[in-house]
Amino acid sequence: MSLEAPEPATQADVGVTDDGLDYDTLEALLGDVVIDRETHLNAEAFVVQPDRVVDALSVLKNKAGFDHLSCVTAQEYEDRYESIYHLKKFDDPTQEVSVVVPTSVHDPTSQSAESVFRTADWHEREAYDLVGIEYDDHPDLRRILLPETWQGHPLRLDADQEQPQVVPLREHANPLQEDHPGGSDTMFLNIGPHHPATHGVLHLKTTLNGEQVADVESDIGYLHRCEEQMCQQGTYRHQIMPYPDRWDYISAGMLNEWAYARTAEDLADIEVPEYAQVIRTMSAELCRIASHLLALGTFALDIYGDFTAIFMYSIRDREVVQDILEDLTGQRLMFNYFRLGGVAWDLPEPREQFFEKTRDFLDELPSRLEEYHNLVTGNEVLQMRSVDTGVIEPEVAKNYGCTGPVARGSGIDYDLRRDDPYGYYEELDWDVVTEDGCDNFSRLLVRLREVEESGKIIDQCLNLLEEWPEDERTIQSNVPRTIKPDPDTEIYRAVEGAKGELGIYIRSDGTDKPGRFKIRSPCFSNLQSLPEMAEGEFIPDLIAALGSLDIVLGEVDR
Amino acid sequence: MTISETLAGALGLGAVNPLEDFVLSLVGAALVGTFILLNTAVAGPWAKRKITAAFTDRIAVNRIGPFGLLIIVADAVRMLSKELVIPDGVDRPAFDLAPLVLVASALLGFAVIPMGNGIQLADPTVGLAFLFAVASIASVALVMAGYASNNKYSMLGGLRAVAQNVAYEIPLVVTAMSVVLFTGTLQTSEIVAAQAEPLLQLGALSIPSWYAFVNPFAFVLFLAANMAEVGRNPFDTPEAPTEIVAGFQTEYSSVYFVLAYLGEFIHIFLGGAILATVFLGGPAGPVLPGFVWFTIKIWAFFLFTQWCRSAIPRVRVDQVIEIGWKGMLVLSFANLLLTAVIVGVIV
Repeated sequence: MSLEAPEPATQADVGVTDDGLDYDTLEALLGDVVIDRETHLNAEAFVVQPDRVVDALSVLKNKAGFDHLSCVTAQEYEDRYESIYHLKKFDDPTQEVSVVVPTSVHDPTSQSAESVFRTADWHEREAYDLVGIEYDDHPDLRRILLPETWQGHPLRLDADQEQPQVVPLREHANPLQEDHPGGSDTMFLNIGPHHPATHGVLHLKTTLNGEQVADVESDIGYLHRCEEQMCQQGTYRHQIMPYPDRWDYISAGMLNEWAYARTAEDLADIEVPEYAQVIRTMSAELCRIASHLLALGTFALDIYGDFTAIFMYSIRDREVVQDILEDLTGQRLMFNYFRLGGVAWDLPEPREQFFEKTRDFLDELPSRLEEYHNLVTGNEVLQMRSVDTGVIEPEVAKNYGCTGPVARGSGIDYDLRRDDPYGYYEELDWDVVTEDGCDNFSRLLVRLREVEESGKIIDQCLNLLEEWPEDERTIQSNVPRTIKPDPDTEIYRAVEGAKGELGIYIRSDGTDKPGRFKIRSPCFSNLQSLPEMAEGEFIPDLIAALGSLDIVLGEVDR
Repeated sequence: MTISETLAGALGLGAVNPLEDFVLSLVGAALVGTFILLNTAVAGPWAKRKITAAFTDRIAVNRIGPFGLLIIVADAVRMLSKELVIPDGVDRPAFDLAPLVLVASALLGFAVIPMGNGIQLADPTVGLAFLFAVASIASVALVMAGYASNNKYSMLGGLRAVAQNVAYEIPLVVTAMSVVLFTGTLQTSEIVAAQAEPLLQLGALSIPSWYAFVNPFAFVLFLAANMAEVGRNPFDTPEAPTEIVAGFQTEYSSVYFVLAYLGEFIHIFLGGAILATVFLGGPAGPVLPGFVWFTIKIWAFFLFTQWCRSAIPRVRVDQVIEIGWKGMLVLSFANLLLTAVIVGVIV
């Protein structure tokens, strides 16, 4: 026990009432930092002065218990720039508050939130990169997604969207030139962008001390495809839905689509029929199983070093899920199955055949999982490799905004399906899985056990769908052909994707296309915590930690 | 009986003079070398794929020839016709020599292995010592490859290879010593002969006194150390794809790559041959001729390595070293002492 005085207990319940948050109390708590109030659809937003960001955020974090900086959105208006800090509580993510920081057009500079929330580091770098807002006291304000030599900021209003910028390789620093930084006896090693274990194009700038990792820095952006901007150029009704499939493309498509569906439906106040919600829930959980199975396979690949039994077994089982999803949606990866207000079509006919196929899979699932537990989690060598490696403590994980299996592997009981319910999850009987090991093994275990829980959910959905009266099978509600939300309506909504909290912020500008579309990718935040897990460990543990994070570069880079 | 004598007998030459002996030995060496290379040719492009596929629920090569066997020819043509890329700044000739040394050291080991039916190139009195000596030359090749490639991954792989080989060579040799205590000789043919005596008589079934049966503990130790020697899971740290790309062979392409891989496979077979000679009665076995039994035994070890590769995770490099120095070394010396005491009391 420490002899130091314990930190003053956080009053996590400031302003908490039975009818939701009392924002006036919060405003009083913040005092003169607040210069204005805005109302977003998901929460109230306090407008604060650009040089009081740290004050505002630390009060909200330490005094009011908003310990989760979910996302940082940056955008440009005609007369100002704005950074929005979307805050939540890990204990209850329905309690939200936003902090809006306006800056002038001529000098878009505000204070960095990095000293309060570690996760703000990358989020603010992205804001600087794409929108061009500068953050004072930021430890490392560089571009993050675009190349260093990029001219201008692509999400600014005056950016020339027609003019491509070609960035040739020769304009980049030669990574081989700086072999031994500082002349010490460490070795600089580039892991990636083409390396068997980076699960895509990720570049880890690693400094090694012998075989031990002294420092690791992720270099991302190789797969940046301007997803946010593309969404800003599509209409709400139909043109945006295909894109989410392409963020986390490891068969988690439906989960991503739900993020957009939930946000846009709340924004335009669209009802979703219950029948469609059940189908959504079922298909989303099928996607989660497919995604977790692949995570298991690739993690085993990283530990075993070859396309071994585990990898092939998990691919074999994932294939069954893919077949079911193909029957349901007509697609294997880019489903485009959700529609605003429902889903594209009903279950495939004959329904009995679909039910039987899915049931067969669920019946097989327990024996498959037992096989995995025998082969993987019960294997002493694997335990030797993964227990107590890549450790991330819960407080650190929260500070980095880790969510999903990464957070739950560190004992953080946080799952939006239960804590911020949507779809049909509330009506079903299932559990949130957590493990307290904080290590690579726990994250693996959480995923395997979540597959089990997803199986339970799907089973209940199947029962519901089977018994659903034939004349009440409404798959879509009436949705106007063109959706034009009121100008300057702002909303931030998140769902529990395969990798964690997948959030979307939309500001409408009165047209049928979003004024600003911002994606909060769980992989982006999770990957940021890699140095915490890997530093001081051996290279194999760095690789294992990366595998246990289960990142998809398509979602990190968007 | 060495191979030159066998050949002379087959040709009806009777007593041979030194020149004839030399020529016949050369012919014998060519035959033995071809046999080993034939085995690796089947093992590398075809059997390995088929075996792994069977373990991992796949089909593998089945398009060219019966059971896809002609993939061996196709792969050979493919590998030989690829461009040989020599990166800038490699340290020649070490870079060029390393793959050759790797293959040569492993092939050299087969010179003293009795393969049955009078097939043994040479039978020196220090056979076993010679075997371990040439097999460890491979470590030199790994350092050469790792250092000369001018690549950090190769460097790491080379360092790992040496650390691992040093750590496991000692238990390997010490465990083999415990067998030598029984036989009292290092001559491989004598070691095989000593295992021919029956250990137990169960009715009509006679269990031979193979050292795997006499001292199973030593056998298991030797098997484990051997896995580390040939660098296969759970000890494939020197290569470790997904960690250090391909370790010491990262920069090798085309023919050099073939040689490096060939060296690895011959090493696995040599490991199997040593295991068979020291613990499994060499070419001994019922009904079938000795040479066939020998082939079966080395393939059994190959199968075992592939099984481990498919099913066992790789241990971390520091754990490999720890197991070697803190576990295997202690156990192998304990085994040696115990065997010495037992042999001293009984004999």
